[in-house]
Amino acid sequence: MRTTITKLALGGALALALSACSSVGGGGVGLSPYGLVRAGQTYNVGSGAMSVTSPREWNRQGGFSFNDVRWVEDWTLNGPYLDGVTFVTGLPDNKRLIWQEYKADRQVPRFRSTMTAPEVASLLETLFRVEGGAVEFRTLGLAPRTFLGTNGFQLDFEHLDGDEVWRKGRAVGAVIDGRLYLILLDAARAHYYPQALPDYEAMVRSAVRRR
Amino acid sequence: MSELSRRAMLAGTGAALVAAPASARISPNSLKPLIGPGYRPTETDEKGLWQQMERVEEEVAGSNLLIRDPALNSYLQGLIGKVGGPAAKDMRIYLARVPEFNAMMFPTGFTVFFSGLLLRMRDEAQLAGVIAHESSHFLLRHQIRSWRDMKRKTNIFAGLAMAAGMAGGVTGTYTGDLVRLAELGTILTLFRYSRQLEAESDALGVKLIADAGYAPLSMSETWDQLITELEWSAKERRKRVDRGYSLFATHPAPRERLKDLAVSAQELTVPGRSYDRGRERYLKALAPIRASLFDDQVRLNDPGASQYIVETLARDGWNGTLLFYRGEVHRLREGIQNQQAAALNYAQAVTYPDAPADAWRWHGVMLMKQGRVAEGRTALSRYLTMAPSAPDAPFVRQMIQG
Repeated sequence: MRTTITKLALGGALALALSACSSVGGGGVGLSPYGLVRAGQTYNVGSGAMSVTSPREWNRQGGFSFNDVRWVEDWTLNGPYLDGVTFVTGLPDNKRLIWQEYKADRQVPRFRSTMTAPEVASLLETLFRVEGGAVEFRTLGLAPRTFLGTNGFQLDFEHLDGDEVWRKGRAVGAVIDGRLYLILLDAARAHYYPQALPDYEAMVRSAVRRR
Repeated sequence: MSELSRRAMLAGTGAALVAAPASARISPNSLKPLIGPGYRPTETDEKGLWQQMERVEEEVAGSNLLIRDPALNSYLQGLIGKVGGPAAKDMRIYLARVPEFNAMMFPTGFTVFFSGLLLRMRDEAQLAGVIAHESSHFLLRHQIRSWRDMKRKTNIFAGLAMAAGMAGGVTGTYTGDLVRLAELGTILTLFRYSRQLEAESDALGVKLIADAGYAPLSMSETWDQLITELEWSAKERRKRVDRGYSLFATHPAPRERLKDLAVSAQELTVPGRSYDRGRERYLKALAPIRASLFDDQVRLNDPGASQYIVETLARDGWNGTLLFYRGEVHRLREGIQNQQAAALNYAQAVTYPDAPADAWRWHGVMLMKQGRVAEGRTALSRYLTMAPSAPDAPFVRQMIQG
């Protein structure tokens, strides 16, 4: 697992390719675990509690990896090693962003509805360290930002992973009615991050809470 | 085996077993290094192995997972000079940023230390012990001996394929792609030393540090710390200590080993002589990276292990840094009691002059969450005073303004 935070990206993709699962959404062919996201079209993501519109075609990863949780969905432009956007759509109190074995030595903490932005930022850091194999994680910025019409935050970060690639990310989120809403970009720092950022920003601006 | 059944077994087999140290102990004075300065292989298979290892070393040396702090690296190299025996000048050390306790010696005399090892050492004597142990593998030519032994026993190619598969399945323990570099993973599995070879390295290692003037007992303390850490980690997750922990994949370390080490240490300790622990020197050398080592460990949320590490280091005295990281361990754990314990630890940490700025930030956040807004604002202001250009300063400023 490298870039998309909620799936063992390659593991999941390979397993699916081998078992010949069909794709989700329109546009995919036979063996792909991805469905096509069309430019300008609005999609309900994750649990359906948020919708977004992308200015460009993206690939939507189907929710069938064993460590999925229903509030989280991943998209990618060039494949999960290079870039990915993750949508968190109303993660409730006491739930994790990913499924983990309850006896795992290292665990991503559960989200708590009372969490402040620094705590959510720390939760994301642990996620990248524990599940993403980040060897080094640097917070570049944490600032207030309006998201879904409410007071939220923007976290900027970068991390060096075990494959020796530096990746960079941005998460814009808010806790609304005790649930976590978040859109997260994580991509190879060279080229792919700046390339995906305008799309990501457009998605963040387009995000609407549905219920 | 449970404590009870072990006692029952010992009682049943008589007092002799209880009184005698483990029978496999090798006397430190019975071992001599098998190589001297400038050793080069002369036989074909060893030459081939060296050629491969030179490629591996090139890759390791170029890895961006290495911590390149020049002062720290020359400090480590200096320690090899003290405890590396006759081949000390031929050995190279690489420090990789991996939050695990592990170290490995390669047949050509280069060694890779994981940064998690440095975090766990209480003083220079403990670190010297690990370096001496790894050096002993080289001095006793263990790699080529176990390589040849394996070749005799198995079809080497089948062995390689199997080992490659095993290296790919490292269980739950992150060692980074360093281990996957070239054939490193495969080779490491092949160099899994037998208990006999480990016992030899322990024996020669403890002699090397004793000769260099370090407290010989420090080596058995290190192994005790390691085993106990695994026990705490497993207990926290309510499971047995049986995970394929990277260290014990390559270093079998039963409790008998540390008993043997303690006996050897006693044997080598000269009454009346004072032995060096080098704690101040060690902390000074480690200072530039120590906070990042704590972050790397504590933020993995392996609370049993992390808490044990913090408390082990606190045997030399609590301070603001250690209390802060104990707070961090609690904060990432579940349950309201842990959140309260975190808040308490941050509150204690900031009473020490060495408390890092982050301790003030979390102290402030916890106070705000408890509704103690005015106190929280004061603590957060202190954080901003200490770290005015902190990356989260914009958000913290908003918290202060409400």
